[in-house]
Amino acid sequence: MALQSGSATFSRFTVEPPAGDPRKWLSRALARGRFEPLDLQRSEDDRSAGFVEREETDATRFGVGAVALGEWALFAWRIDAVAVRASAVKAELAKWEASFQAKHRRPPARAERATARETIRRELRLRTPVATRTFDVSWNLASNELLAWVASRKVVDEIAAAIELAFGAKLTPGSPAAIASRGGAALEKLGPTPELVGAPRAAEVVR
Amino acid sequence: MSRRSEARSEAAILRGDAGVDGLDTAADERDAVELERDAAREQLLRGHAFLGRELLTWLLWRSESTEPLARVDGDDVGLLFTGRLVLRGAFGDVTELVARGAQAPYSAQVKRALDAGLLVHQARLRLEHGEKVYEATLDAEHLDVRAAKLPDLIAEEDDERLLERLFLSQRLSALLDALVGEFLAVRSGRGWSRKVVPELKRWMRGE
Repeated sequence: MALQSGSATFSRFTVEPPAGDPRKWLSRALARGRFEPLDLQRSEDDRSAGFVEREETDATRFGVGAVALGEWALFAWRIDAVAVRASAVKAELAKWEASFQAKHRRPPARAERATARETIRRELRLRTPVATRTFDVSWNLASNELLAWVASRKVVDEIAAAIELAFGAKLTPGSPAAIASRGGAALEKLGPTPELVGAPRAAEVVR
Repeated sequence: MSRRSEARSEAAILRGDAGVDGLDTAADERDAVELERDAAREQLLRGHAFLGRELLTWLLWRSESTEPLARVDGDDVGLLFTGRLVLRGAFGDVTELVARGAQAPYSAQVKRALDAGLLVHQARLRLEHGEKVYEATLDAEHLDVRAAKLPDLIAEEDDERLLERLFLSQRLSALLDALVGEFLAVRSGRGWSRKVVPELKRWMRGE
């Protein structure tokens, strides 16, 4: 796992946490945003994401012993998804068309083809294995620095939004612009340095 | 033209989706070059990425002297750009340039490109803090840490090793914040346009 070994890849945030003792709100907040497994039989959802325990990625009990390590809170973001390959649908549909034509001595009508395509997609969806990915999150409860151990910006944004929602916390990214803003800089007045960006005129940079 | 397609074009004209010449009114009439430049300009401004690019370019200039660039917890922070460097621009014919080679970041070719209005967008950095050495790839927009090499771990027990790794990751993050802090102090000062930028340009020109 990224957090445990190997090269380190992470996005940095500063957190304004909820008030009170973290031991009280940590487990409750994680449970609010916990991972719910996909139910392909009963639900149309092809994707599910939420918090799980870091060492046991099926568990969502979030006991203090499972989440806290020293001054750190450690947990994971789990994404389960099922994706039916378009090529598989196409191949199955071709087989169905051949058997339809043999049986009825005519090609299927557009509506018949659309219905068959949907049926095939549903059947393949139930047979396709669910792909699971987990990403570590470390939160220093003393310094309130949070690291999301993931390379994909899309997933980083998803984790940040989920933490803000579940914890009622505010996350500030570690980007130069965010650090400048935290230091009191008025970002709306800040433009690129024309001499450095090679702009013909300063007015052309800030539109 | 069939009656059906004639009716379709007429309806599009009535809706205002197409002109009397039958062409899509919302069609993008910009050519490929303009589209590329607009995309490059959008990338420069998105999330104030220019600030990160100016930061990395400023760090490249300052690091050539091998003098420490900041101090964290009483120890100097030394910096060296190593290996691959990605430059991006928004106003010239070249929107991206990748330089590879151990000496590439400080080469005359890279300086010429910087002088032409490209800025450092992504770089591999080697940071020295006391006796610890870190390496990481950074991007200008988010300052996310990618493929970082942390100093060797001393602890032997699993939990202790994890805590040490967390500590080192946080320390790397603090070093980056210190460098950003140094840059922002210079960038927001009066001397930025009058003194620093001209000096930076002279360095790019090899003067």
